[in-house]
Amino acid sequence: MSLRWWRLAARNLLRHRRRTALTGSIVVVGFVATTMTAGFVAQTFRSLAEVTIRGLGGQLRIVNPDALGKTDEEAMGLLLDDWEGLARIAREDPNVVQAMPRLTFFGLAVKGEKSAAYLGTGTVPALEKRASLTADSVASGSFFADPRADDVMLGGGLARAIGAGPGDLVTVMTTTPDGGLNAVDANVTAVLRYPIKEVDDRLLFLTYESAARLLKAEGKASAVVVLLRDGADLETAASGLRERLARAGRRASVKTWLDSAAFYKQVQLLYAAIFLFTGLVLATVVVLAAANTMTMAVFERTREIGTLLAIGTDRRDVRRLFLAEGAILGVGGSLLGGAASLLLRAALNAARLPLPPPPGGTVGGVLHVDLIPLAYLIGFALMTATLLAASWWPARRAARLDPVKALAHV
Amino acid sequence: MLVRVAGLSRIYTSGEERVVGIEGATFDVAAGELAVLEGPSGSGKTTLLNLLGLLDTPDAGTLVLDGVDTAGLDDRGRARFRRERLGFVFQAHQLVPVLSAEENVALALWIRGLPEAECRARAREALAAVGLADQAGRRPDALSGGQRQRVAVARAIVGRPALVLADEPTASLDSETGRRLLDLFEELHTQRGTAFLFSSHDPAIVARAHRRLRLRDGRVVEDVRLGPSTGPAAPSPGAAPGGAGA
Ligand SMILES: Nc1ncnc2c1ncn2[C@@H]1O[C@H](COP(=O)(O)OP(=O)(O)OP(=O)(O)O)[C@@H](O)[C@H]1O
Ligand SMILES: [Mg+2]
Repeated sequence: MSLRWWRLAARNLLRHRRRTALTGSIVVVGFVATTMTAGFVAQTFRSLAEVTIRGLGGQLRIVNPDALGKTDEEAMGLLLDDWEGLARIAREDPNVVQAMPRLTFFGLAVKGEKSAAYLGTGTVPALEKRASLTADSVASGSFFADPRADDVMLGGGLARAIGAGPGDLVTVMTTTPDGGLNAVDANVTAVLRYPIKEVDDRLLFLTYESAARLLKAEGKASAVVVLLRDGADLETAASGLRERLARAGRRASVKTWLDSAAFYKQVQLLYAAIFLFTGLVLATVVVLAAANTMTMAVFERTREIGTLLAIGTDRRDVRRLFLAEGAILGVGGSLLGGAASLLLRAALNAARLPLPPPPGGTVGGVLHVDLIPLAYLIGFALMTATLLAASWWPARRAARLDPVKALAHV
Repeated sequence: MLVRVAGLSRIYTSGEERVVGIEGATFDVAAGELAVLEGPSGSGKTTLLNLLGLLDTPDAGTLVLDGVDTAGLDDRGRARFRRERLGFVFQAHQLVPVLSAEENVALALWIRGLPEAECRARAREALAAVGLADQAGRRPDALSGGQRQRVAVARAIVGRPALVLADEPTASLDSETGRRLLDLFEELHTQRGTAFLFSSHDPAIVARAHRRLRLRDGRVVEDVRLGPSTGPAAPSPGAAPGGAGA
């Protein structure tokens, strides 16, 4: 279509300033909603992934292949030998920050007359503190530090059940893999707060050394948890580790955090569905509003269209004229929407609005909207396509007018 | 012959009702004529002009324009014929409000796909021909009623059509301005040989035409030559001899 029709379309939009501003602002709002939703969802995904990874203590887990597909209790006896050897192999990858052992066990925690069942984790304090969520959830006392000490940390529910607090001595009892009963007296350094009550009621952390002694499992681990550098590719790191383990002749399986993050995947699906639904609702609203104003424009300009047709304008040119108006509104609105999105994003991020904890998390962050270039592209395509779609029928109607009737229109 | 009309009819039907718009019209218009359609309200002036302007299609009869039998034209062919061979002036000026006077005139050439520079140059020339060379940059709402109608005339003649059709071009003007529009028609007719066929029921305006077709109840009841014509002197076949009723 030649430039003069675009120019005519643009002038018509400028002439009907209020209507143009109204439709234009709908486009701007639609665009901003798209980019802000995408940016916020992306941020939510990112922090949810972070929380999930920190909950697991790392992105990769080396486990005993026999434990795969077993229940937790069955798997408890199936340990890895020589965790330090495995950790050394893991650390050959420069993308690996650390590799730590974890022992999982259960039994009874006793203080004085009171006792309660626990689900325990034996871990190396410094490594655990760096990699895991637990470090953020100290309610009282302080995170354990000495790897050799018989130190214990308790979930809030468990601590209440046995009436223990920081500084108290607690007896941690368990059954060893060979069936014997064993116990250790450990000093409570911290009471933790875990957001899920069922977990909080049973949570117990022991230093790896104490746990290994308790279980008579020195050098062994239920899992070696590997923490990767930010931005390292998960699958590359996983397959590299598998290869090195195989080359070293170690019988061990490597699982990624996504393998064991059913919750994350569900949330991701949920968010994707919400995003899609929002987009559809948005597009529908914009289509209806824009179609309404375009129909009004055609109605108001019936005589003008009649004149154009009467003096011999090709009907296709009339249709293109109105489509051009829609296109200009879509593109122009998107450009303004892009600018508005950037401004709003900067303002929101600068405001540092507090957020509730993400699903499964313990601490809320501040609102941060990510800059997702793809969302701007999607917003642009969505809004322009929407405006063209909204203009389609009014433009067609304009092109099909009978010039005689249109000229007589008042 | 520029226009050849034979037995042309247009009957409006709305439900049961059947209203005669025009019935059995038969006449010719020669190149370069200045002709008026005269008749009371409802006599069929607009109906006939719409048919001649290929804006409406007849129910019966033939219409040959500039040697082309218009029955053979489809909708796009008619639009093309309108933009390339006809000029229109409407009752109310019907200019595009967002375009300047010059652009409104150029519009008639734009739709033919002519290059911008040529459109502009010819539009300025046409504006000069209607005496509005100095108003080229103004938008319609900054022009008087008479000026707007002149811009509309410039738009009608810019493509150098052989025939300009005008349905009550003076109806929205005061009598003085209307008279000056007729001066313009006469001048363009004399200088360019453009044929004008316009309708009016104002006797003062009707009197300015060189030929008068009188309509009543959808029929051509009188066809007379009134004054000088630069067109061919041959009398129209349908014309009453001696200009009876003039
Ligand atoms: N669209 C239509 N539907 C039905 N009847 C119509 C239509 N257009 C015109 N008519 C009728 O056809 C006849 C001729 O109308 P037309 O508009 O051609 O008259 P006119 O001479 O132009 O009148 P005026 O001086 O009022 O403009 C009238 O009886 C009118 O009512
Ligand atoms: Mg009329």
